[in-house]
Amino acid sequence: MNEFSVIGKPVALVDSAGKTTGQGKYTDDLSMPGMLIGKILHSPLPHARIVGIDASRALALDGVVAVAVGADAPNKYGILPVGHDETALAVDKVRYVGDNVACVVAESEAIAEKALELVDVRYEPLPAWFDPEDSMRAETDLLHEQRPHNIEKEYHHAFGDPAAGFAQADTVIEGRYIANEVTHAAMEPHSTLAAFEIDPQTGRPGRLTVWSSTQVPYYLQHKLSIVLEMPMSQIRVIKPLVGGGFGGKSEVIPLEIIAAVAAREARAPVKITYTREEVFWAHRGRPRTIVDLKTGVTRDGKITAVAAKVIQDGGAYCSYGVVTILYAGALLGGALYQIPNFQYDGYRVLTNKPACGAMRGHGTVNVRFAFEAQLDEAAQRIGMDPVEIRRRNLLVPPCVTVNGLRVGSYGLPECIARVAERSGWSERKGKLPRGRGLGIACSHYVSGAANSIIRSDMPHSTVNIKIDRDGGVVVYTGASDIGQGSDTMVAQIAAETLGCSLGRVRVVAADTDLTPIDIGSYSSRVTFMNGNATLRAAQAVKRQIAEAAAKRMNSTPEDVIMRGDRVWNHGAYGDEGPGAVEETATIAASGRVEGQILRGSVQQKRAEECPKDRMTFEEAVVAAIDFHGALGGSGSYAPPVEARGGHYKGSGVGPSPAYSYSAQVAEVSVDEETGVVTVHKIWAAHDCGRALNPVAVEGQVIGSVWMGLGQALEEELVWKDGLLMNPGLLEYRSPSAAESPEIECIIVESVDPEGPFGAKEASEGSLAAAIPAIANAIHDAVGIRLREAPFTPERVLAALRAQRPEAKKVRLAGNVDPARPATFREHGGSLCHGGRGPARHPLDPAVRRKSAAGSASKREDDAR
Amino acid sequence: MKKLLITLNVNGRDVEFACAPNQTLLDALRLDLRLTGSKRGCDDSSCGACTVEIDGEPMLACTLLAAACEGQRILTVEGIAEHGALAAIQKAYGEWGGAQCGFCTPGFMIAVHSLLEQNPDPSEEEIRAALSGNLCRCTGYNQMYQAVKAAIEAEKAGRRAL
Amino acid sequence: MSLPEFQLRRPKTLAEAVSLLAQTDGIVQVIAGGTDLIPSMRQRLFAPSELVDLRGVTELRGIRQSAEGLEIGALTPLAEIDRNEIIRRDYPVLAEAAHAVASPVLRNMGTIGGNICLDTRCLWYNQSLAWRKSCGYCIKKDGDLCHVAPGGTECWAVFAGDTPPALLVLDAEIEIAGCDATRRVRLADFYTNQGDTRMKLGSREILTRVFLPRSTRGWRGAYRKLRVRGSIDYPLAGVAVALRMRNGVVENAKAAITALNPAPLLVSGIEEQLAGKTLTAVLAETVGALAANTARPLTTSALTPEYRREMVRVMAKRALVEVASCGSR
Ligand SMILES: Cc1cc2nc3c(=O)[nH]c(=O)nc-3n(C[C@H](O)[C@H](O)[C@H](O)COP(=O)(O)OP(=O)(O)OC[C@H]3O[C@@H](n4cnc5c(N)ncnc54)[C@H](O)[C@@H]3O)c2cc1C
Ligand code: SF4
Ligand code: FES
Ligand code: FES
Repeated sequence: MNEFSVIGKPVALVDSAGKTTGQGKYTDDLSMPGMLIGKILHSPLPHARIVGIDASRALALDGVVAVAVGADAPNKYGILPVGHDETALAVDKVRYVGDNVACVVAESEAIAEKALELVDVRYEPLPAWFDPEDSMRAETDLLHEQRPHNIEKEYHHAFGDPAAGFAQADTVIEGRYIANEVTHAAMEPHSTLAAFEIDPQTGRPGRLTVWSSTQVPYYLQHKLSIVLEMPMSQIRVIKPLVGGGFGGKSEVIPLEIIAAVAAREARAPVKITYTREEVFWAHRGRPRTIVDLKTGVTRDGKITAVAAKVIQDGGAYCSYGVVTILYAGALLGGALYQIPNFQYDGYRVLTNKPACGAMRGHGTVNVRFAFEAQLDEAAQRIGMDPVEIRRRNLLVPPCVTVNGLRVGSYGLPECIARVAERSGWSERKGKLPRGRGLGIACSHYVSGAANSIIRSDMPHSTVNIKIDRDGGVVVYTGASDIGQGSDTMVAQIAAETLGCSLGRVRVVAADTDLTPIDIGSYSSRVTFMNGNATLRAAQAVKRQIAEAAAKRMNSTPEDVIMRGDRVWNHGAYGDEGPGAVEETATIAASGRVEGQILRGSVQQKRAEECPKDRMTFEEAVVAAIDFHGALGGSGSYAPPVEARGGHYKGSGVGPSPAYSYSAQVAEVSVDEETGVVTVHKIWAAHDCGRALNPVAVEGQVIGSVWMGLGQALEEELVWKDGLLMNPGLLEYRSPSAAESPEIECIIVESVDPEGPFGAKEASEGSLAAAIPAIANAIHDAVGIRLREAPFTPERVLAALRAQRPEAKKVRLAGNVDPARPATFREHGGSLCHGGRGPARHPLDPAVRRKSAAGSASKREDDAR
Repeated sequence: MKKLLITLNVNGRDVEFACAPNQTLLDALRLDLRLTGSKRGCDDSSCGACTVEIDGEPMLACTLLAAACEGQRILTVEGIAEHGALAAIQKAYGEWGGAQCGFCTPGFMIAVHSLLEQNPDPSEEEIRAALSGNLCRCTGYNQMYQAVKAAIEAEKAGRRAL
Repeated sequence: MSLPEFQLRRPKTLAEAVSLLAQTDGIVQVIAGGTDLIPSMRQRLFAPSELVDLRGVTELRGIRQSAEGLEIGALTPLAEIDRNEIIRRDYPVLAEAAHAVASPVLRNMGTIGGNICLDTRCLWYNQSLAWRKSCGYCIKKDGDLCHVAPGGTECWAVFAGDTPPALLVLDAEIEIAGCDATRRVRLADFYTNQGDTRMKLGSREILTRVFLPRSTRGWRGAYRKLRVRGSIDYPLAGVAVALRMRNGVVENAKAAITALNPAPLLVSGIEEQLAGKTLTAVLAETVGALAANTARPLTTSALTPEYRREMVRVMAKRALVEVASCGSR
């Protein structure tokens, strides 16, 4: 018999019917009586002081109820305690095109949009910073006065002895890698509905309820409490269905706070749903990144040292920035390969662009691209197979890496072996015709951050389970299902542990009034942490049931087996339990009794008549209620102290109770005349500890590999002086079905000793490897090394042409050589011709350098 | 702006309501008829989350004027389920992981429904092509193909059983 | 984002449509599939006071064979053109181009008339009102400068329709109905090659029919489109070629490009280069170069202009080789 009865089997997500029928409700699908619509006025300038806001014309418009401005809620907040630099609406300055200036509340969307045109804002433009390397040199006109040189945070770490490490190396490779900016582009645009209730005691607006498309209801509750100056207990956050997050909803997004402020001002429920363009302005995606990387290897393929200088263009606010820059270092250096000596210099820089934040594979993706591509180059230099060089640098777990990461379960060797096998690596690599190639890369990710954003020893997840005499199991979990399937995971773990069927379990999730705290769906923490909390809660309940059942069976709780809605005495029925025929009969009968909530004579009689050695699940539940009075259980999870990392500045980010592993092989072909790269197939082996729901694990792995493929080939935010040229799904190209390749997911189960049933994360770890796997495959196909992502056809062709000295020199890829990128590429054209453009442009640092001080007064006039 | 009194035939039922001339079909469905199954994913007619069937052809509800759809048969995701039970394609999407966050799913349900109406036994290429106008950000589409194939098999088995 | 306010007219016949257009005195616009106009209205690129919806004018829909060739109603959806057996057989380049438009769902909605009358596109123009405000607007809409060609006074927005280059190589004509008269023009004479004015069509005129002459019936053809995604994307460059061959010798040939200039353009000199010759690699290169020289890509679109020009060359060459070497038709 199978070891498990619920987990390990593919099951449909418990909320899938709501999704396929259209009955499931997302935030924008909600409405309530008297609800008004909010629309946000955004800054047209990248950097400016707000001189004055006059909303009178807007307020005069029929149907406009209120206009909220920064002064209405000036308290600062930010997702990180060290980064409280945002306000609901701009108070003194705007810092990017799209920054939030005012919110109009009106009876309809159309009226609100009209009113936006009537809000008069006077700005005094300030010089703006667009390029992070420029910005780091800033002495004046800083984005935030408290951040000299516009550096949000810098870290300088050295582990081992990097200099000695490089001295030991037989070959050292250096290069600059550039990854352009990408964004989540979740299909659901952010939406928030906020409503105050009248307090019956005071007769005034009291409690606030917020429905929001969020991955982090509890952080939202916390930040709302800061900005609105209300106790958290008076704020209820409910997460309806969420149409994808990928990190874009893992922090408090301006509209979530603004909706609440607007509801307070308008004294009515207010819903705000972003337009797609606003989603791009709110952004919080993966920052464009410069990685100056140096790797030393010996002739036999051992990495002796790695040094990296990383600059992330963080945009106008801190957001998750401090964490992102730390993840980049921690996961570049630790927990994937054996890297004895490691130096890291990370800079998170502020610029006048929308803030970057957390995005799937948070912090690791761009450095992983650089590293895996460079490792491929190193292998080539020393004449070693790329698979082999990765094998030579495996960790020997359990171990603690030089930068303090504890590694336990480690399925990477198996991942590498399995993808190599499935892709026919050893037979095919290097033997494909020119133009076609194979590339391998690996990646990993945390199964939850061992330290929460707000550092404390409190549990990261708590779960309650209630079972009443109806035999229904209700799990109350704070875990936020955003499509990854956490509700289903929770139901499966509860059902498996309690030995009941999945259909018996109902999950109540992510409602701060009903569910205990879970810090949110980010850093791939939910299965590991909320799963463990669920496991513990279910075990607590199970113990109570088993105790009562044991009493009835004249046995011991240890001898009571609960499985498949049946409870039996191991001594009487062994591992298998009562025969199958008997079983169906009992269940059918019990089903009838179950329906009547009778806890009276009928059932009691049945219980007595029933053979002592076995019971139905609900009989056992009733027995337990009889025995204990109330039946319920709680469980919580806090990462073990040993997994929380080292003791240096910044050591808190990177540690995790367990890491997932991924190895991927991509097969591509390159059209040498057009530069078009076709990915034929990607094999992705992912070590998720244990696949609780294989179909969901495959979905997550395929989805993340695919998202990596998007970043590798098509996706990039195109900027021109802080203006986003492609703020829509037409020009920001998320791959369509037409060119999305087959992705074969190979599940590797290393069974983590601390994960729930051995499970680890599955949703993020596979993203990063896709990009370098494709880069390496392109090299295998046509011999070019692209160091700038995405590998759009123009870049590929430019690199191909550069290889052929006789080819005509054309600047196919603009001013950046994709094989040797020095700086970020901007869109062509001009924003400021003849001084007739927007006033900000004569003040751009780049322009200012050329032309000496212009007429400042004229600029101000122009801006109005 | 003066509203027009119009009648739309949605999922086999006629509904009469007052509609501004500039109202899109998507807004009419979501706001007036409270059929929130069709989703809004973009503002540039490019994502397919709002796909509905108009006289049997998939079209974008966000790009149609409601008043211009008078006299046409409109099918939304709410009309796909059969006799209160999941249609084969809905069940298969659940079982095969075709829907993760589910926001794109209503659009895909319509796209697949139309495909199978017009071509009950499509090739892999035809399935891929039929889905290529709808964006999904979660699944990478792979599991959707499996779901569509499973639904076709289920339909065939169902027909054989009849 | 909501749409601007307008009055909606829904004529049932062409005559009704024409007279409606003649009667109104506000800003009036016709709408067919709406796949170009509706997103643009959301962005406040157009705010007509009246919209004449042609979807109900059934006489403008359909494909008919006639003595002079083939006649396609302007309201015929692109999907129908893509599927049509006659077009696939007799004018394959058009079927291929129609198939390349956007995505299946947009081809169900978008019409051939709308594709011909498509507004020109530019990354600085196809943006929301708020966005355009931020960039200071531009010549094509609400402003007085061009971000693409700074210093100039012209608009270089690109015409990015897929079917017009195919129609050009087939020597198509179009019929235009106005309040006073109906006129017929060669498609090649329809466009102005200016980003802002784009075409010679009065706001009160309707494009009614497209004619494909018998002279190009049976020409082999191919359409090549540069796009990043395999679906949805507008062309970043497009090349249509069509030719007639006999006994391995080219009798006549044409090529046209799109998505590179403010109009779809016939490439001149193709016929002179090819007529009476068997196609060689060198000749194909020459044609590629001619096509590339006709292109004037700018930063109106994604990818670099240099790359897009280069692709015109490659696509023209490849399309030609493919057409010349395929089957015997
Ligand atoms: C996401 C997306 C992707 C797209 N990709 C492509 C693509 O790849 N290739 C491509 O070619 N197009 C593309 N398009 C544009 C569009 O879908 C097609 O060009 C379509 O054919 C336009 O036809 P329509 O009937 O929808 O035009 P409409 O939007 O109805 O009209 C377009 C313009 O033409 C005018 N017009 C329409 N019909 C007539 C008529 N009979 N007489 C006079 N004037 C008329 C209208 O007034 C309007 O100015 C795309 C659109 C979207 C939204
Ligand atoms: S080409 Fe110049 S004028 Fe024309 S739309 Fe683009 S920016 Fe505006
Ligand atoms: S909402 Fe995106 S296409 Fe209609
Ligand atoms: S399932 Fe989330 S967008 Fe498709």
